[in-house]
Amino acid sequence: MNEKTLVKGKLICVALNDTAHLTQLSKSFLKPPHKEPPKQPVLYYKPRNTWCGHKSVIPWEVDVENVARPGMTVGASLGVVIGRKACRVKQENALEYLKGYTIVHDFSLPESSYYRPDIKGKCLDDTAPVGPSIVPVDYIDDYRALEVKIRINGSLKSSFKLRDLHRGPAELISIISYIMTLQPGEVVAVGFPGDKPAVSQGDSIDTTITEIGELSNSIEWRK
Amino acid sequence: MKTARVKVSYPDDKIRELEVTIGRDNLIKSEEGEILPESGIKWLPPVKEPGTIFALGLNYVDHASELSFKPPEEPLVFIKGTNCLTGHLQHSYRPDNVDFMHYECELVVVIGKKVKKIRREEAMSCVRGYMVGNDFAVRDYLENYYRPNLRVKSRDSLFPVGPWLVDAGDIANVNNLKLTTRVNGIVTQEGTTADMIFDIPTLVEYLSQIMTLYPGDMIATGTPKGLKDVQPGDIVDCEIENIGILTTTIVSEKDFYGDDY
Repeated sequence: MNEKTLVKGKLICVALNDTAHLTQLSKSFLKPPHKEPPKQPVLYYKPRNTWCGHKSVIPWEVDVENVARPGMTVGASLGVVIGRKACRVKQENALEYLKGYTIVHDFSLPESSYYRPDIKGKCLDDTAPVGPSIVPVDYIDDYRALEVKIRINGSLKSSFKLRDLHRGPAELISIISYIMTLQPGEVVAVGFPGDKPAVSQGDSIDTTITEIGELSNSIEWRK
Repeated sequence: MKTARVKVSYPDDKIRELEVTIGRDNLIKSEEGEILPESGIKWLPPVKEPGTIFALGLNYVDHASELSFKPPEEPLVFIKGTNCLTGHLQHSYRPDNVDFMHYECELVVVIGKKVKKIRREEAMSCVRGYMVGNDFAVRDYLENYYRPNLRVKSRDSLFPVGPWLVDAGDIANVNNLKLTTRVNGIVTQEGTTADMIFDIPTLVEYLSQIMTLYPGDMIATGTPKGLKDVQPGDIVDCEIENIGILTTTIVSEKDFYGDDY
């Protein structure tokens, strides 16, 4: 269906994993409908119709009445690519199951609530580019030293140090592998900066992660 | 027509996965016309290349009130991973140390055609057929974030489907089929697809407004009232009139994972 993606099987994203963002939301999470902060990683799928790659053009969707949808936002994350079957693995061994690292963009509609699965906002076609390549796992000594920078039309909109992730890749892989057996080629986007820049029609979006590379996409121009 | 996929062990020790048809006489026939004894086969999920699995929460009025929720104003859709799939007469596991895991007997719609932005009037044209599904849930793991969350609804083996796929054209009125669940032979859940809040054309239209649907995508359309806890050793039959009976044995986490435990 989508020859331009390097994802096989599943693309799992971790929401609410930016420590500063969690702190900022902590009071609102005590109120209904949440009532308490999340205890477990907050996970969602980007299904296969969303998968695309480096240089993919992201459609600016119109609804059935041909009205353009409200603006999209972009999130960028380190992606970990599973190298061999990971079933109920311990955190201390989790990195042994990885093939390597990549970059994941998540283009979604702005999110106003975390209570229900956000199919309408997160499952638009071609909104999950992954790439440009997979960097072998031993090229990275410590993910905490990496920084994710998002540039829109060349200007820096977001920079996020991965040491500010609430849970790191090994802990996430371990936890997820107790929910579902992970298979080679499946990708986990380990966490996005809480503040997601808005994007407009015709924008170019380039995300760099130190040592990993640069993932570039543009937004369709419809007007 | 009813089609299924099965695994067969042959005397030469070769194991083959076969596409089969199930006739009116309930005989299981391979594409070469060989009749397969039911005792010698393992049932697989009927869809060879499963795509995105959508499932509905609170799509029957009586079930919504059972959980003290107001019926939703738009479909409550969540996505399940293909790791959840298993076939008829297979095992589903109950995680260790949980208090409440229940079955959910559901009519599962299988998409047969690529569609986007299809209107409800034409929506049935992309439906290939139907299966019985059992969308198990582990309620202990519910949290109020993207509820129902993946830990509840995306676990290995907790979405058996089958036994077969019935062609859409063979079901005269899909909006009026009886659903029944039996645990160890005792009826615990009864309902009818007539009580769905959002019917199949509405669901297909809704999803296709958001995204392209592809062949192999599935929609589990929700479950009526009648949730009961199930324990290792229990045998759960989910039956949908004119579709079939899907049987699942509950096992412990340790028995399910074996060496991976």
